[in-house]
Amino acid sequence: MGTVLKYRRIAVAVSSIIAAAALQTTLFVRFRPFDAAPALVLLVVIALARHLPAEFALFTGFAAGLLEDLLSQSALGLWALTLTTVAYFVVRARDRMEEDSSFLVPLVFVLTLGGITLFAVLGTIFGEMTLADAGFVRKILVPSIYNLALASAVLPFFSWALGVRQAINPYQT
Amino acid sequence: MWRPTNVDRPTGVFVGLIIVSLVLITVDLRASGAGIGGTMREGVQTVFTPIQRVVSAGTRPVAEFFEDLSDIFSLRSDNRRLRDEVIDLERRLGEAENLENRVGELEAILGLEPPAELDSIVAQVLAIGVSEFDHSRVIDRGRSAGITVDMPVVDEGGLVGRVVSVTSDVARVRLITDPSIRIAVRIERTGETGVLTGRGSAPMVLEMFNTDAAVVEGDTLITADGRFPAGIPVARVLEPARSEVGFSLRTIAEPTAEVTRIDLVRVLVFTRDQVGIRDLEDLERPPIIIPADDEPAEGESEEGLPTETTIPTGEGEGEGVTGENPGTTEGEGGG
Repeated sequence: MGTVLKYRRIAVAVSSIIAAAALQTTLFVRFRPFDAAPALVLLVVIALARHLPAEFALFTGFAAGLLEDLLSQSALGLWALTLTTVAYFVVRARDRMEEDSSFLVPLVFVLTLGGITLFAVLGTIFGEMTLADAGFVRKILVPSIYNLALASAVLPFFSWALGVRQAINPYQT
Repeated sequence: MWRPTNVDRPTGVFVGLIIVSLVLITVDLRASGAGIGGTMREGVQTVFTPIQRVVSAGTRPVAEFFEDLSDIFSLRSDNRRLRDEVIDLERRLGEAENLENRVGELEAILGLEPPAELDSIVAQVLAIGVSEFDHSRVIDRGRSAGITVDMPVVDEGGLVGRVVSVTSDVARVRLITDPSIRIAVRIERTGETGVLTGRGSAPMVLEMFNTDAAVVEGDTLITADGRFPAGIPVARVLEPARSEVGFSLRTIAEPTAEVTRIDLVRVLVFTRDQVGIRDLEDLERPPIIIPADDEPAEGESEEGLPTETTIPTGEGEGEGVTGENPGTTEGEGGG
């Protein structure tokens, strides 16, 4: 990887995670259709992990999670563990994505669903009482559907921003 | 045979990061959110606050446009409902004026001073939690405005939450709907006390100490004298309470404040010594008073609404178990 491209990817990764966290916490203060919001940071981690080198993708997931932990009241490391796991699954599945692009958007849904479920289960194990929330099924499902809807715009944008020559059209069969 | 060399490098890094995460979780939980974790949170929130202010200023008009758009569809039904409410409120206003006069007379007789109005600090919600399970809001006033941890936060409807952390410019408010929060409440109509527990987006659960207590739909729950100042509206009962195998009286209630759509709030300048509160913070369920007898409740009115209940008297009443620690029932069971 060229030095310019390397720094460009670092800049894109850092700025997009900060922007996603800022949007996540401010845009949906009052505008919350179905009382839920998309999991933007998680979606950005998926989009970045598709194209970044494997280890860099894992560190990006970890750093994004740590930022979420520090901006919330959850135990430090809960989101870091969750987003590192999501990044790892993207790294493992991305070859399959390149071969079959129809696999891409459903995978965003599954990874968001799995990531939030993992956070909820870990949160309960570590005493955060996340599963005590009576609306937890909706709180897992609705953000996953939002991410599914946003994926078709967000994923190609990040392919372009990261300098990937052939962006994958998720709807191309 | 398995050897470390069989693990590829990304998997090794992944395992390493998972171990680091687990160590962080353990250390942070042991420090109960204080220590290095607390310092890092305060530092990151301080750095992030200007970014959130800029993004909030840019996105607020967009969010409000979509919010207004979604509100248009409910305008007609809202209008009809509000007309009915105005008629009802006018009637209640007349009743309230009569009651106010009587309270003034009684206070004069008893030589009591009316409760002083608490000072408050007006703030606006700047940010929400990073996930749907984070029942907190960040408000745009902090230590520099006089806000400290544990201060109650209200809006025009009633209690919203309490301050759990504060930096120089912002403060984080844990909402009353958080499943880890329990609030000692009193039924405004009868004076009976109980405990209200958050359940996230679902209605809150009310558990009554007295299994013979009369709880009917529409009853307003106000804060009992505890971590919060007494008398703040908290929730409205949605269903008559039912006894569960004789152990407790349970029902559900919805917050009187629009907790999920709050914008402007007031932080009440009120803190209380928490020595007694800690004793009951980890209780799984409220303590129960065994009724003295099995006789059915007396005092049913003609309309079927019970009008007489055992009104506790004296300091520490209603908490039911803690005569020495009045008002010690709110707590946070976890987190």
